[in-house]
This record gives sequence, C-alpha cells and structure tokens, in this order.
Amino acid sequence: MAANVQGKTSVPRLEVRGIKKAFGPNVVLKGIDLSVCAGEAIALIGGNGAGKSTLMKIIMGIYTCDDGEILIDGKQAKLGKPAASLAAGIYLVPQEPLLFPNMTVLENILMGFNENEAELKKRLEEHMQELGFNLNLQRKANTLSIAEQQLVELLRGMMRNAQILILDEPTSALTFGEVQALFKVVEDLKKKGIAIIYITHRLTEVFEIATDVAIMRDGMITLEGPVANFTKEMLIAGLLPKDAQAQQQDEKAYEPIRYNDLKPVLEVKNFSGYGFKDITFNLYPGEILGIAGVVGAGRTELISTIFGRDKALGGQVILDGKDITGLQTKDVLKAGINFVPEDRHYHGLFKIRSISSNTTSALLGSDEIGKVNMNRRRQKQISQKYVDDFRTKIVSLEDLIGSLSGGNQQKVVIARSLSTSPKVVILDEPTRGIDAAARADVYNIIRQLKESGVAVLMVSSDIEEVVELSDRAITVFQGRINGEFAHDEITQDVLTSASFGIVQERTV
Amino acid sequence: MKNLLKKVFKHWELFLVIFLILEFVIFGAANPKFLRPKSIMNSIVNYISVCIISLFVTLVMITGGIDIQAPSIIGLTSIIIGVLWSDAGMNVWVATLIAVVVAALCGALSGFFIAYCGVQPMVVTLGGSFLYSGLALLVSGFSATPAYKGISGFPGKNEAGEFISFRFLGKGTLFGIPMQIVIYIALIILCIWILHKTKYGEKLYLIGVNQQAAEYSGINTRATIMSTYVLSAVSAALAGTLLTANVNSAKYNLGSGYTLAIITAIVLGGTLNTGGKGSILGTVLASLIICILRYGLPLCFDVDTQNLDLPVGIVLVLVVLGREIAGQGILQKWFKKKKV
Amino acid sequence: MSKVKNLFNARWMSSLIFLLALFLITGIADPSFLKYSSIISCFNSATMYTLLAVGIAFVIMTGEIDVSIGATLGITAAMTGMIAQQGGSVISMLAACIATGAAVGLVNGTGVAYFGVPSLIFTLGTNSVIRGLIYILTDGRTIENFGGVIASYGNKTIAAEITVYYAIAVVLVVIAHYVLTKTRKGKYFIAVGDNAGGANLVGISVLGTKILAYVLCGMFAGLGGFVFASKYGQVMTVAGNGYEMTAIAACVIGGISLSGGLGNMVGAAIGAVIMSSISRLLVFIGLPATYNNTITGVMLIVIVVADSLAQRRSIEMARRKRLLSRTAENPEGGEKA
Repeated sequence: MAANVQGKTSVPRLEVRGIKKAFGPNVVLKGIDLSVCAGEAIALIGGNGAGKSTLMKIIMGIYTCDDGEILIDGKQAKLGKPAASLAAGIYLVPQEPLLFPNMTVLENILMGFNENEAELKKRLEEHMQELGFNLNLQRKANTLSIAEQQLVELLRGMMRNAQILILDEPTSALTFGEVQALFKVVEDLKKKGIAIIYITHRLTEVFEIATDVAIMRDGMITLEGPVANFTKEMLIAGLLPKDAQAQQQDEKAYEPIRYNDLKPVLEVKNFSGYGFKDITFNLYPGEILGIAGVVGAGRTELISTIFGRDKALGGQVILDGKDITGLQTKDVLKAGINFVPEDRHYHGLFKIRSISSNTTSALLGSDEIGKVNMNRRRQKQISQKYVDDFRTKIVSLEDLIGSLSGGNQQKVVIARSLSTSPKVVILDEPTRGIDAAARADVYNIIRQLKESGVAVLMVSSDIEEVVELSDRAITVFQGRINGEFAHDEITQDVLTSASFGIVQERTV
Repeated sequence: MKNLLKKVFKHWELFLVIFLILEFVIFGAANPKFLRPKSIMNSIVNYISVCIISLFVTLVMITGGIDIQAPSIIGLTSIIIGVLWSDAGMNVWVATLIAVVVAALCGALSGFFIAYCGVQPMVVTLGGSFLYSGLALLVSGFSATPAYKGISGFPGKNEAGEFISFRFLGKGTLFGIPMQIVIYIALIILCIWILHKTKYGEKLYLIGVNQQAAEYSGINTRATIMSTYVLSAVSAALAGTLLTANVNSAKYNLGSGYTLAIITAIVLGGTLNTGGKGSILGTVLASLIICILRYGLPLCFDVDTQNLDLPVGIVLVLVVLGREIAGQGILQKWFKKKKV
Repeated sequence: MSKVKNLFNARWMSSLIFLLALFLITGIADPSFLKYSSIISCFNSATMYTLLAVGIAFVIMTGEIDVSIGATLGITAAMTGMIAQQGGSVISMLAACIATGAAVGLVNGTGVAYFGVPSLIFTLGTNSVIRGLIYILTDGRTIENFGGVIASYGNKTIAAEITVYYAIAVVLVVIAHYVLTKTRKGKYFIAVGDNAGGANLVGISVLGTKILAYVLCGMFAGLGGFVFASKYGQVMTVAGNGYEMTAIAACVIGGISLSGGLGNMVGAAIGAVIMSSISRLLVFIGLPATYNNTITGVMLIVIVVADSLAQRRSIEMARRKRLLSRTAENPEGGEKA
C-alpha cells in the first residue's frame, strides 16, 4: 500500500494497518491497510459481507480487532470502546442511525456532552448555519425522515469536533434530492479539513464526491488510489474476483432450457408494494431465476411481499394458475412457495432449539410430522435425510442449531424451506456470511433443486453467484426491473452495471 | 469447579432434583416427623393453587410472555360459583362450568390485546389483575352474603361424614391421596403432553425463541400466543374451584397475593423469562421445593410460619445470580483479571 | 411545528386532561365534590403513591422494572415506627429510610445491571427477602403506639389545606422532573431506556445509569415508608404489599412506557393522583367503592392498548413512507451509459 501513500504530503489523519478480525470460524477481515488524510474523502466500496461495516465498527471501538493497529495523526491509538474513539475525534454515522427516537433533535445532538448547554447550542447553530441546515431542533427524532436523521448524526459528529467522519452507506435510504443535499454537506466538510470515509454501493457517487477510492472484497482491499486514476469500468472490474474470467471458461456445457415447451409456475404481473413497483416476470419449473441489484433496491421487499410478509399494493402473483396475491404467509406456504430469508439470525433460526426442530418447523402446519402429537421419529427421519443430502456437519440432531457454523446453519434453513416440498423456492442471499466450502455445497443443493423440477427464485448481491447459477436473470434498480437477461447474456459486467443503474447496450 | 458448576446449571432439572433430595435429607434428619407422607401431601395441598397455575403460566412464559392476572381469576371463579349456586340457585356443577367459561373469556381478552395489539404482556395482565379482581368484588355484590364473609355450605358430605360431590374435589381422597393432588398429577401429565409431545407445544417453543422466524415457518403466532393466556386463565379457574371446595367458602379475594409466588416457581424451575426455554418438570420440581421449604423450615428449624418469604427469596436470588454467573462466564472474567 | 410540540407534551398532558375529566364527571354526578377541599384532599392522599411512582419511574425509564418497592416501603415504615417508639428524632428516621432504600436499590441495580439478571426476577427475589427481613426486624409484631412527634406531622398543612408531606412530595417531583428533562446527566436515564446501543455510542455508561436509577427508586420508596408510618400510626408486617403494582399502574397511566425511554415525572405524579383518588371519586359518583379495581383495570387496559396501537401505526407509517419514497419517480431517472 506504500505506493498509494506516495504523493501525500501530510501524515494521514487516520491509518489502519493489518487489521484482522474473525467471528468464530468466520474470517471477516484478512489484514486491512487503509489511510485517509485531512480534507480527503475516501470512498469504500464492496459487496455485502466484504467486511466494510466490521472495519468501521472496529475503528469506532464497538468491536476490537484480533490483530493490527490504528494510527491517528501518525500516533498509535488504543481504541477499545466508543468513548475512546469519540475522544480521538472519530465519529461514525451508522447505516441505521442510532438516535434516541423519543427525544428532540436538540437533545439527541447534545446527549453525552459535558459542556454548558447554552454554549453548545450556540456552537450547534453555527454549524447548522455553516452547512445551511434548516431543522427544527424541537422535533422528536421519530418524526424525522431517514435523511434528516442522517443530518442529525452528522451534526452530532461535527459537534464533537470529529476530525474523522465515517459515513456508512448514507444514501441507501435517501431520495435523489436528499442525496444532493447530503453531497453538498460532504463537500463543505471536506473543505473544513475533515477526513471522511464514505461507504457506498453506488459507483456514480464515488466520482461525485470522493477524492480517493478503495474496493473491498472478501475481507481484503483489492484496489486503492485517487479517483482520478479510475473509470467506472475499472471499478467494476475491481469489484469482480481476479479469476472471474478463468472461472467462466471452466463452466460446464450448459444445457439450455426450452422455455417454449414450459408453462410458468409463478407469474408476477405489474406487482407493486412497499419498496418496489410494477414488477412483472415469469418463473418456470426447473429454472433458476437470479435477481440482482444493490442493497435497498427493493429486491428483499419484493420477495417477502410475495411470501405474505407485507401488504401488496397492486398487481398479481399467480402460482400454478391460482391467485395468491396478498395471502398470509401460512397460506402461501401451503400453496407451494417456501422461502430462505436473507437475515438468517433474525428471520431464519431458532437458535436455542435443536437441529431437527429447526429443520421441521415449517411442517408444523401440515400433518407430515403428526396430526396432534409430534411424531419425533418422523421428525428425525426428515432431518437426517436433509443432513445426509446436504452433507451438513453435525454431531447430533439434538444439538442446538446455534452451535453450528454459519454454513451449516444455512443448510438447515434451506432444508426447512424444502421440507414442505414447494413448487417454488425463494432464496434471499443464500450464501451470505458462509465460507467457501459451504458455499459450494449450497450451490450444489440449488442445482439439484433445479434438476428436480423446482423453480428457484434467487436474490443475491453477489453478482458472481447470480452468474454462476442463473438460467435467466433480472436486475432491480430503485424498486423497478431495469434489465432482463437470458442465460448467454449474463455476465458479471452486465449485471454489475445494471445493478448500479447503468444499462449497457444489449448485445442480443 | 467452574466446569462442574456449569454442568449442574446446564442440566437444571438435575440441580432441582438434588436440591429437593437435600431438603428431604436435611429436614428428615432434623425432625423425623417431617417424613410423614400425610403432612408432606398436606403441604402441597396448601400450596395447590400456585402449583397448578404455575404449570400453565409456564406455557405463557415459554412464548416469551408473562401472566400476573391469573391469581385474580381464582377469586373471580370462586365468587361466580358461589353466587350462581347460592343466590341464583343453580346446580353447583353448572355454576362451575360457567365460571370456567368466564375465566376463559378473561384470558382470551388479555391474550387478544397482547397477541394482536402488541401491548406488553406485563402491562395488560397488570390491568387484567385489577379488572378481574374488581369484577369478582362486583359479582360478590349480587350475593346476600356480605363480601368479607364468603359464601359457604357447599354440597357434599354424606351421612357417613365422607366428602362427596363438589366438596369431594377439595377434601376427598382417592386411594388415600388427596383429590387435589390427584388432579395436580393429572394436570402435570396433561401439561407435559401439551408442551413436550404435541405440535402445539413445539410451536410455543419456536415462538418464544424467535417469533419472526416462527412467522416465516408459517406458524400463526398470534392465535397461538393468545391461546396460552386462555389456558392459564382456565387453570386459574380450576385452582379457584379446588380452593373453594377445599375451604368450603366462595370469596372474591381468594388467591390474591399469589402473583409473585407463581412467577417465582416458574423462574426457579428454569424457564427463561424471555421465552423459548423451560420445562414442566422444572416448574413442578421448583413448586415442590418451595412447598417443602415452607413446610420443613417451621417444623424442623422453628422458622416462623409467617416468615417464609425470606428463605424462598434468598433461594431465588442466589439461584438466579448463580445461573447468570455460570452462564456469562463472569467467574472466568474475574479469574482473567486477577491473572493480568 | 407547534403540532409536533403538542405531540411531545401529549403523553403527560393527556393524563392531566384525563384527571381533570375525572374530576369534572364526578362534579357533574355530585356538585358537592367541586369544592377546593375535596379536590385538594385527592392530591393530599396521593402522597405515598406519588413518591413510589416517581421513584420507580427512574427505573422504568431505563427500561427495567422494580417490584420490590412495596417491601422497601414496608421495611422503612417499620424502621420509622421503631425509631419513633424509642423516641428517636425525625432526622434519624429519615436517614434510616433513605439509607435503607438506597441500599436496596444498590443491590437491585447490581443484580440487574452488572450480573444481568432479568429485572422482574431479581426484584421479585429481593422483594421476598425484604418481606422476610421486615418480619425479623419486627419479630412479626405490628409496630404501633409510636405517635409522638411524627404522627402530628401527618395531618399538618402548610397552606391552603395542602399537607406538608404532599408539598414536599411535589417539590421532589419538580426536582426530579427538572433533573430528568433539563440536566445533562438526568437525560441519561431516558437515553439508556430509549436506545441503549445509541447511548453506549455517545459514551454514556449504561451500567452506572441503571444502578443509579435503582438507588433513586429505593430512596423514594424509603421516603414513602416514612410517610406511611406517619400517616397510619401503625405498621403491620404486610405493609406496602401490592403497592408496587399500583405504582407501576400510576406510571403507565401517566404516560411512561414500560419499554423505557418515554415519559416524565409529572406524568408519574398525575398517574399517582388518578390511581389513589379513584375510590374517593366513586363515592361522589354514587358507585360503591367496590367498583374501584374494575374501573382502574379498564382504564389501564384502554390507555395502554390505545397507546400501543397509535405507536405501532406511526412506526409502520414511517416505514412505508420510507419504502415508497424509494420507488418515487426520480427527477433525473436512472442513468444510462
């Protein structure tokens, strides 16, 4: 990384060296070097699970790193708790603002200060004027829009005289106008000599506000340098794995699906809901349809609404000729759709229950494992079958699922979704946070599913994954489908561009 | 030592069994009179309401809820039975049935607010405890008997002086075992079946561990949660019936003051108050431990019968502290600090 | 913006309006109620619950609960009586009450915040222990015949028929309210209950704040014990039994959310007045006092259910608005390369 530091005259305001971090067996950061100088804004980009948020939490003192050091103004700093990082002039504006919802804006900003309130208020007003904010300080935080909440977080940082400001995907929930307002603020902050780390998913933003850019992939920084040295295409290339091209050549002969002979099992027609609009697509038995897009594009909202987790606002979802629009989850399940949720911990796992309990939890609504009494033998048989099929590494079916590694947990969650013998399986980020070996197993499971005639709808932020598995792919951008690709059109390049809102000229 | 502690706390029921045996050994050695089966059974009968209700409130707590209104339903049931029987002239069994139905409706009402309106269970059942005890007092106003006196004279003593009919429930025996204990045992078996053998029981656990994930598994979590409050209310009605038959008096305020005792038994039994973990066996063992403690201490160590809260409280505090310390590895933390 | 400001005040304002409405309804039923002396006696008789409710409000605001305050009130009341029997000074009684309350609070706070025992369970345990200690302290006897100095305080008024005790309680409420809403550290209580993660992020000690809340709660309960002894002139071993539930109900009616981070002391104090004057009001309305619990229960349930539904609705609306804004038509649309 030394090469990148060349040309910078001053000592970096913040520098991290060789940061490593693992959660259990899961290595998230594999030695990160990164530096940012006063008045610079470094854009940090990368897919989900690349480790960006973890790195920022380490800098903020919320996590401690396993190895590596953090230097502030060239001096080694010992950060282990948020208070220490705050004292060192670091402030993190988290992706989901951590405001006190029942307090006023003023109280939120001044919370935790020890100075005189009148003085603080004066300083606050100065900051607000400087930045041209117009926000009623007496409003309660839970009445603020996300953008306003982010402004409050920014003010918090400035009031603390933060010299290093971290913005974690600040625009992911903002509308276009709000984004422009935020950019103006960031420009002003840069002029004031504040060092900014700007995490984003949107490539265009990099060129608008960043001075430098770094790309993170699988816990490493794969590319770093001044923005001027790069083009969008180069950044996209940096987001792709090194062996991407080699991998594509390795691919086995692909057997095309003869769509003309098939009747779609799932038809989605002009479907609208909270977070997505006018979505139309068909899903055929025995195919994998990949849905690509960045976080916040509305993919998760789309599929969870199909699954009956949220209210549909318009359009139709038809499964095998039967209208299932707006049904409750349990009825959607019965109709023949099952779901592997994105957030395994929050929506998927029953952590302190056994593996067999977890595997068969979706069968409690059917007679498969008994009418009134639990048929424990049947429950075990079913669970064992999936453990064998999926090569899940377990000691005993009675072990708590919380004791398994992420990959094995995910296999159990997938097993659960297959246990109801669905016609359509929806996978939301099927390989998030699991290691390479487990990933290969999950891919095999998905392929087997397809071969058995099940229709698979797969949402993934991992473009590589979409390319590798999909028979067809669609991309979702800002709540709408902005691209549909047949198998031979799917490349990482095309999908990445479309996910970031750049629709390239179609070749076919 | 550390590992041993961890193991014992891991197999909670084992710990409780050891505790119970120790009680028998110590009390038995201190005073041989302690071991008379009749007295032991009597100590359980004296505490039967707590024993029975705690079984079903365990189901509520497994789902992550709490029920502090059940004791107020004891009094409500009792006074309804009394008024319907004595003042409305109904058959006592019909009166009982009506009382149980009313109790079930009370449970359903609170359960509805908790499950469908998302109000905290603690607050709703606190309101419920005021409401249902208030209703009990109002119902007592329909009686010719003054509220403080209690309606007595329930049927069943035959010429031979044996308890029959309604009072058989409270005073009768079956093969020498008090009827109340027979019913308690039946309810224990019922609850073990419900919680540990049926699909419904499985759902209760899953909801308690992760309600969101349960929804994704297609479980109707709201109806299920609501049903647990109905069950606990019905169990309170049953306890109220037994208590009425036992003391031969229907009173609006029977059972008041049992709230904390019920929660204590369940918590001591190892049920997590955040839900998802616990067992009927644990609750039963903990109830018995408390019964025996309350019976043995006055008999063997001359502790005043009025002052049995203290030992029970000390046991509860020590046990929950011990569990946290063992579970969180606070001991290890201390150990490490010393080393540094 | 004034609308938002109203919203901010609404929680305790609505309980005040509720109280006034109660008075008004009573007055319509029986105009003789609408006299200064009957209304002021509603406030005077709320002294004890006011102290308990304000104390427990500190704990509830941090998102925890304390069901041992009834027992704390009982033991401090017994202490007061015993000191009075021996001719001790009022200062020594107050010192004993406050110190005992603080000690109980420290134990509760440590168990809950440091050891992480769920607060309901831990304070349930300390509740039983303190009840037992009362018994040991008093030897199971009712403490009585301690009249003397302290009994005469009970009914003393300072001005306009307001008792000394209630006046002091009001002063304490005002101080507590000021500390909680206006001072830097006071706001930590709400901050911790509102968003413990966020509090940690701005450098607030969650542990210390929770322990302090329990200590304050215990001290207020101790004062409640003093008032109890002085008011009734005798203390039974079961004194204060069940008071914790009434105090919690007072907080809830006063607009304090049991999940923490919401509400203030004035609300708690008004809630205490509502809770303790219902039986008095029923007499005027012509309903027998037997309606007391029923009406309290209905009131409590209606208030919390309405509040919960309103809150859920506003959160859901905000979420939907946010999601809808994502798909709103963009002035410049997606870019095309």
